[in-house]
Amino acid sequence: MKKLKQTILVGIALAFLFFASSALPGNIRSTKHNLSISGSGDITASSERQICIFCHIPHRESVKMPYLWNRSSPPYPYIPYDSSTLNAVVEQPTGSSRMCLSCHDGTIALGAVTSSPTEIRLKGGIRYMPESRPSNLGTNLSDDHPISFVYDTALSLENLELRDPALLHPAVKLDEDNQLQCTSCHDPHDDPFGRFLVMDNMGSALCTACHDKRGWNHSAHSRSTAELVRTGGLWENTGFRTVAENGCENCHLPHSSGAGRRLLNYVNEEDNCLSCHDGSVASSNIEAVLFRRYGHRVQNYQGIHDAAEDFTLENVSKHVECTDCHNAHQANDAPSLGGSMVSGATRGASGVSAGGSAVKEARYVYEICFKCHADNNVIDALTIMRQHDQLNTREEFDPANPSFHPVEAPGKNPNVISLLPPYTASSIISCTDCHGNSDPSAVPGPHGSDYPHLLIDRYITDDFTPESSFSYALCYKCHSQSILMNEVSFPHKLHVVDQKAPCSACHDPHGVSSMQGNALHNSHLINFDLSIVSPDNTGRLEFNDLGRYSGECFLNCHGKLHNPDGYPL
Amino acid sequence: MRKKIPALLAILHFVFSSVALAGTISGSPHDFLGYSGDESGEICKPCHAPHQTKPLPAPLWNQELTTDTYTMYDSTPTSLLKTAPPASIDAKMRLQPESSSKMCLSCHDGTVAHENFGDLADGAIPPHGDALTSADLGMDHPISFVYDTSLSVIERDLYDPATKLSGIVGSMGTINDDMLFEGRMECSTCHDVHNKRAVAGTKLLLKDNAGSSLCLTCHDK
Repeated sequence: MKKLKQTILVGIALAFLFFASSALPGNIRSTKHNLSISGSGDITASSERQICIFCHIPHRESVKMPYLWNRSSPPYPYIPYDSSTLNAVVEQPTGSSRMCLSCHDGTIALGAVTSSPTEIRLKGGIRYMPESRPSNLGTNLSDDHPISFVYDTALSLENLELRDPALLHPAVKLDEDNQLQCTSCHDPHDDPFGRFLVMDNMGSALCTACHDKRGWNHSAHSRSTAELVRTGGLWENTGFRTVAENGCENCHLPHSSGAGRRLLNYVNEEDNCLSCHDGSVASSNIEAVLFRRYGHRVQNYQGIHDAAEDFTLENVSKHVECTDCHNAHQANDAPSLGGSMVSGATRGASGVSAGGSAVKEARYVYEICFKCHADNNVIDALTIMRQHDQLNTREEFDPANPSFHPVEAPGKNPNVISLLPPYTASSIISCTDCHGNSDPSAVPGPHGSDYPHLLIDRYITDDFTPESSFSYALCYKCHSQSILMNEVSFPHKLHVVDQKAPCSACHDPHGVSSMQGNALHNSHLINFDLSIVSPDNTGRLEFNDLGRYSGECFLNCHGKLHNPDGYPL
Repeated sequence: MRKKIPALLAILHFVFSSVALAGTISGSPHDFLGYSGDESGEICKPCHAPHQTKPLPAPLWNQELTTDTYTMYDSTPTSLLKTAPPASIDAKMRLQPESSSKMCLSCHDGTVAHENFGDLADGAIPPHGDALTSADLGMDHPISFVYDTSLSVIERDLYDPATKLSGIVGSMGTINDDMLFEGRMECSTCHDVHNKRAVAGTKLLLKDNAGSSLCLTCHDK
């Protein structure tokens, strides 16, 4: 009896070993690509027990196909991905990608295998990849990440934000022809990371295996721990919790993207930003200020902005989008290094230099502004007609000018006694010191304002405006109201308080171009508003600079003839 | 206790029953009695003879050998592995099939009629019937290549044949033990020509391919 017992135990042990040795191998069994009857996905066969047969066959009998492929290569012409900033040559799908598409373009039945004259039957009568499934890419691949292009070192030298493929992470593979295929990102046989990805895409590790976006590692969009707020199906394709984890996929969808080109989530450019910057995820709520009376109305334009646009050419139509001023791959909350240097918010945005040439990454805020407000000024009419009209802001701020607000260089006048600390005559300021959101509690920057010209505060230019700290609040932010009115440098009180002439009647805030004015007549930003100031009885309309705190005018204003009237009084 | 013993025996019987079901060549697709053209009634004779007639280092070979030149499987246009040395599997492949695979191909490439054995050799009967494959093996799973540990290191989706168990019913051997021939994959890696262990109802497969178990014996997918 004891012997029998031992025999049984040995038998059980053997049986156990036997079962263990034949334990089902292969991770594909547990993936959605197990279309056999043993599969656990939504789409499985009614009776077919083999897994590999849906794609492979050990002995093909007809057309030679790679990978012992058991499916027909789809003959359909696809619409490939394209964009104005694409360096790669992307044509019809090749290689293994055609195999993937034989199911995933939705045109060939999933059970249509070449080894059988009849389709393998699937449960529920399913034949084709259901259109409702995100994995049905269709034959329009223009909204999908490009595939079947040669990714070689030459490409990485054309697009410097692509890594040298020789240095790719080993999980990301190119095919024999150095082409990137579906299989570069997806492993159809194994799915440990979801979506059959070849690696976990947390923090966009997979995307950044190839895409080496300049400044990305320091950008808020790669580092923010803000938690995502999922609404309207957004980010359902990722399970990530934070902005940093979601990485590229905060804005981009690798397949069936809403915008198509550049694989952005939304076709309305600003929606990609406002899905976080609406008070839900990001601390900076831009949406709240976009509907102010004046502003950069990004919501008014669609499909005009092009990342490849060159503002030094005259072919850019009027528009404004978030990405005209911001580079989402580089932006962060770092402060400006001072003066007119860009802050983290605008880091990496393109611009036009003071000299008028295109700049890939603006160093100064004015370079960003010059894209649309200099040689190609989208504003085609001046609100104040002056003695010297100038629509090219770049000309107005040229340091060679007789006078200018110190944006590109310290100002010409060494004796600006009205300046409030910390400003001095050698200070440099930025466009955004005057132009920006009017609500000081809102996010800074020229997004939306209640004041004309997108100014941060009130700046009344109407004649006969009663002087107050309120009327010229903008000027008084830097220029002391009381010092101005003490009549030391110029009889301001006489003109502004007593005669109710606005600052803008005499001063042109940006500057006077050296092509139009000169140091004798146009120092101190003097460029008269012709609706207020008119020539004297001899036809002269001029200011003469007679040195420190001294000058004279020939003009007619508020019925008072200056022929000339000089100061000091 | 007494009641439990028969139950356990029944389980063990069930476990090993598939071994008992293993067939014989008689009645298998390789049983050519009755239509082989030979009336000797010797079932082995279409392939083997007690006194070898064909100049091949094979077990007493009696079948006319194919003289085809084959196009071998070529992974060059298909490999997904950029990091692997070029055509890693090809480097380990013979230029032409040899060994047992060549004997299989004598019939299965469609160039030699299976009646051409023994005295009827030398093309007495032209080829006929359906060929399973052809001289173009580019459409067939590669054969006659060395499948060893080093290949499994290069092609990471292959198991190490020296350690992975074959999982063939009744065997505790590795892939190398049970399925390779001089370390090479041949036709007999998957097919049991003599139907000794083949699973009934399959194409003489060594393992039931439900759940693609046979494929996934070697392919770590």
